[in-house]
Amino acid sequence: MLGDIITPDLFASAFRMATPLALAAIGGTICERSGVVNIALEGIMLVGAFAGVAVTLAFGSPWLGVVAAVLAGVAIAAIHAFTSINLRSDQVVSGTAINILALGLTGFLMEIMYGHPGTTEAIITIKPVFRFATERGSGTFFGVIWNWFNTIVLSHTPIVYGAIIIAVVAQWAMYNTRWGLHLRALGEHPRAVDTVGVSVVRGRWIAVLMSGALAGLAGANLTLEQVGSFTENMTNGRGFIALAANIFGRWTPVGSYSASLLFGFFDALQIKLQIFRGEINIPPQFFLMMPYVLTVVVLAGVVGRAVGPAAVGKPYKKG
Amino acid sequence: MPLLELREITKAFPGVLANDRVSMKLDKGEIVALLGENGAGKSTLMNVVYGLLTADDGEILVDEKHVKIKSPRHAIDLGIGMVHQHFMLVEPLTVTENIVLGREPGRFGVIDFATARQRVREISDRYSLKVDPDAKIIDLSVGMQQRVEILKALYQGARVLILDEPTAVLTPQEVTELFRVVRSLVDEGLSAVFITHKLEEVIAIADRILVMRDGAVVGETTPSATDEIGLARMMVGRDVVLSVEKGVSQCGDVVLSVNDVHIEDDRSLEAVKGVSFAICGGEILAIAGVDGNGQRELVESIVGLRRPTRGTIELKGNDITRANARASIEAGVSHIPEDRQRRGLVLEFNIAENIILGDHREPPAADHGIMHPKAIAELARKRIADYDIRTPSERVLADSLSGGNQQKVVVAREIGRNPELLVAAQPTRGLDVGAIEFVHTQIIRERDSGKAVLLVTFELEEVLSLADRILVIYEGRIVKEFAVADADAETLGYFMTGGGGSKLAEEQESKPVESSVAGGDK
Amino acid sequence: MNTSKAKSSEGLDWIAITQKIGTPVASVILAILIGSFIMWVSGYNPVAAFSALYQGSFGSPKAFGDTLLRSTPLILAGLGLAYGFKANLFNIGAEGQLFMGGLAAAALGLALAGQPWYLAIPLLLIAAMLAGAAWAFIPAILKARIGAHEVITTMMFTYIARYVVSWLVVGPLKDPGQIPQTRLLPVESQLPRIQSLFSDATLQAMPFLKFGRAHMGILVALIAAVVLWLVLKYTTLGYENRAVGFNPFAAETGGISVQWTTVKSLCISGALAGLAGAVEVMGVHHRLFDQFSSGFGFTGIAVALLAKNHPLAVIPAALLFGAMSAGAGTMQLVADVPQKIILIVQALVIFFVAAEGIITYFLKQRQKEVPSHVG
Repeated sequence: MLGDIITPDLFASAFRMATPLALAAIGGTICERSGVVNIALEGIMLVGAFAGVAVTLAFGSPWLGVVAAVLAGVAIAAIHAFTSINLRSDQVVSGTAINILALGLTGFLMEIMYGHPGTTEAIITIKPVFRFATERGSGTFFGVIWNWFNTIVLSHTPIVYGAIIIAVVAQWAMYNTRWGLHLRALGEHPRAVDTVGVSVVRGRWIAVLMSGALAGLAGANLTLEQVGSFTENMTNGRGFIALAANIFGRWTPVGSYSASLLFGFFDALQIKLQIFRGEINIPPQFFLMMPYVLTVVVLAGVVGRAVGPAAVGKPYKKG
Repeated sequence: MPLLELREITKAFPGVLANDRVSMKLDKGEIVALLGENGAGKSTLMNVVYGLLTADDGEILVDEKHVKIKSPRHAIDLGIGMVHQHFMLVEPLTVTENIVLGREPGRFGVIDFATARQRVREISDRYSLKVDPDAKIIDLSVGMQQRVEILKALYQGARVLILDEPTAVLTPQEVTELFRVVRSLVDEGLSAVFITHKLEEVIAIADRILVMRDGAVVGETTPSATDEIGLARMMVGRDVVLSVEKGVSQCGDVVLSVNDVHIEDDRSLEAVKGVSFAICGGEILAIAGVDGNGQRELVESIVGLRRPTRGTIELKGNDITRANARASIEAGVSHIPEDRQRRGLVLEFNIAENIILGDHREPPAADHGIMHPKAIAELARKRIADYDIRTPSERVLADSLSGGNQQKVVVAREIGRNPELLVAAQPTRGLDVGAIEFVHTQIIRERDSGKAVLLVTFELEEVLSLADRILVIYEGRIVKEFAVADADAETLGYFMTGGGGSKLAEEQESKPVESSVAGGDK
Repeated sequence: MNTSKAKSSEGLDWIAITQKIGTPVASVILAILIGSFIMWVSGYNPVAAFSALYQGSFGSPKAFGDTLLRSTPLILAGLGLAYGFKANLFNIGAEGQLFMGGLAAAALGLALAGQPWYLAIPLLLIAAMLAGAAWAFIPAILKARIGAHEVITTMMFTYIARYVVSWLVVGPLKDPGQIPQTRLLPVESQLPRIQSLFSDATLQAMPFLKFGRAHMGILVALIAAVVLWLVLKYTTLGYENRAVGFNPFAAETGGISVQWTTVKSLCISGALAGLAGAVEVMGVHHRLFDQFSSGFGFTGIAVALLAKNHPLAVIPAALLFGAMSAGAGTMQLVADVPQKIILIVQALVIFFVAAEGIITYFLKQRQKEVPSHVG
């Protein structure tokens, strides 16, 4: 029974589920570290997902789709950067507007491009990087080990690996490069950064655009590697789980990834458990709400305080 | 050859001439002190030098070359470093990260932390400024943080170090240490500008002293050519222009009694260290002191915005030590806050709505949660007439009133409430002469009607013309009490700036410094 | 900025009123113009589109009824957002409180089967308000006590609410049939349609009363708007709410508890959102299922922003968004323009209204520090 639930593909599925969350969460981390709140991750992800599918359908290459998804994410993020940084608009209001805009824009474009609402036709998805036989000698001990390793570690598509690499590289960069030092300082004390001659506006723009690229990539993973088509509002709150993962991961890239993996695991588990509904009667909603419950618990300071960057959400005015 | 020279710097803000043709010179290896009261224009001048403000007129020369300093970055490039009163340090980052910020060693964008740490160590060794390069700022004491600020300026290549009120936040030991550091920096060939309003510090540290008042330099001297009394006279020495008619105080029962209160500031440092006093009805007690000596915390705890850590506060025999602002108002305490735009008024509210703030639950403004607009408007119109608030209607937003009229709204509300005790903090700050006179008259009328008044101010004329009794506060303690007849501006200024006993004296009791004990027994 | 020396804050000052509504109106016009441009670029006829939209929202009593139907929850959610905004609180999670309100109304409605309508309906509405307030309470406490930002916490609670509802409609509250939804509410718990108040003969004689599906919830919403307006204008509760929103420091000095006011404000905001959920369940669907709200809580943000948080202005703002959503179907049918253009126009309205706030901010040239949390 338990052996039917705890299988290698449960963990493999957790990594897959975690990927779009993690990419957007790392985007959120970078953005918030610079001092800009980004609740628009949801919308950016949606636009990325759509752009990826549209370009893939037009040109037949999902890789071109990935590029398009990233660029589309950057373009939408640029709106947020302009209103938040230059116009010093309320960042939450701007993010809310972008989420609504993304919903409308993708739905509208879908109808004028494909003539119908709902779901696009299927595309050629991006294939897993490695392809080894899954059942190699499953009778032996090493055979079992191999199968677990093969399924959990070697079965994934490129962006799933990419997300792990991005998490590690971003973590390293945040603590070892000029960019990272400036980023960490920007969200805490922008005036201190300004007085040593580093541009606050430029630093924040770069961070917001990076978050757009990452959320766009998250969208690409969703459509081009996982689902294989675009459906209206298909992100379905993933942008907000990503925001939660960023908080749960204490505003660090590796933390964001780890939190996303935990949340992804809950998701994989609830899907798995639906097969065993007869025997185990835990409602799937219980697992689905875990990311949000855990994040509130963390924010409430039950397991150590989660404190964001000091200057996050506050527009910076020179002088 | 002067390293830095300012010629006729003029800077005006709306309504204020902050710097009026100020000139100064700074030579290599010299410490110049800029001495003056709050608002004398010292910080404005240095912000101009540091590129944070642009002068309206005048010239700046660095190494005898004309420069237009456009930004802090530019100032840094010219070798000017500044230690701000509010530190420009990123708290969760390490000492090294803060120091190298903006000028990180390394290649291809990767910071070479080994080199960075090495350079921080070199500088800290050279000037004996010991600090752990890997400590996080948030874990350091304020004195240590200041040291990091100095190291940051040195790392950036500062030849001129501007220190803005550097001792305001320090303990006596830290002040001694800071002076040693500044001395050793100057011995190494740096120059420093030391902004302060504390006399003993000037005497102890400066090579040359520029005294500023009302935006202009009013005197230049050296520590050997003057003493604290002479400096105090220069700093505050203007005639008392305002005289208020007032009779002899008729002291009644004790209204407020403050017993050995200790109060912490926002950073949990003890700001008031055991203060006791009492005020009787019909008396104006003034607490005179330079800004930042604990009077803000004292006022906040009396009006219920802050809780003392120790001691008691009683109003007519009732313990109000732990009262909140609402209970305090209901007990009969009125409060004219020092910052009327931040604490005194809701600028987006109209006059009528502001007039009832604090009384908005009680009749006539409201009962059982329902407000009575007619009664409120009537009350507001009465106050507008009684307190001569210049406005076409009670529905005008507070935001669009002049400063004087805004303060009249606050005064009308607080005195109109008919309190037992009126606490007035800097009640005339930024007002014109007419408005000042009005506020003074109201305060005296309040006293004459038998109420107790606590006046907290650093305006000496205000103290001398209003108070019946004066307490001087310095570093969280009452250092002197005067009957108003025994006080004059110079003596007050002397005690307010630490003349009667100080951080330095406290620290150096065993090894008295000749300059800081001069006139100590006056 | 001495040009407006004698700004008046109330009374029939027509210049002030024009100034106040000028920018929201301009924002809407600008958004519609850009929306038209997008249609034109995409090969549609914007004139035809908007006239179809008008037909579908105001063109007939039935169309107007549809507009009312969709405006009803928007008014209530918009009022909730506006009340929070007045205290400088962004209740972005109104949608979650709306879900809980809908849940409470449905659950209690089923439990109260057999009770007369004059008992059932008020009880359901009150229960929904309490449920909405309760759902806002934890975020409110977290904000007041430790400064946890209400944008994050209420958003998290929105998703929790959604899953709670989605679980209940497939589990404990499920209708015996196949579809994941509750049983139909007893008719005593349903809000009657407006046209059901008139006899058939009256409707025959006066066909302009045939408001289709529009229900009495609109009355609840209009009453709520007036009550909230009165609360803000004539009660100490509203006074304190506004004072804390404008200047928490001055409010605190005036003896107002900033923390307690924050809690009350978010809970009242939640109660109004809960009411929105209840009228949707009681007046439209007559049962609960997990998609019963089409994002009214989120559209409520746009409504409040456009109304500049004035409770009475919330009514026309909600009517505008309600009309757009009611007419979108006709627009698609007649002019063949995808309905989604409405969302784009909505987003543009928010951008412009927010940008207008920036312009006045610049004009005022007064930077005021507002604490992210007050403790």
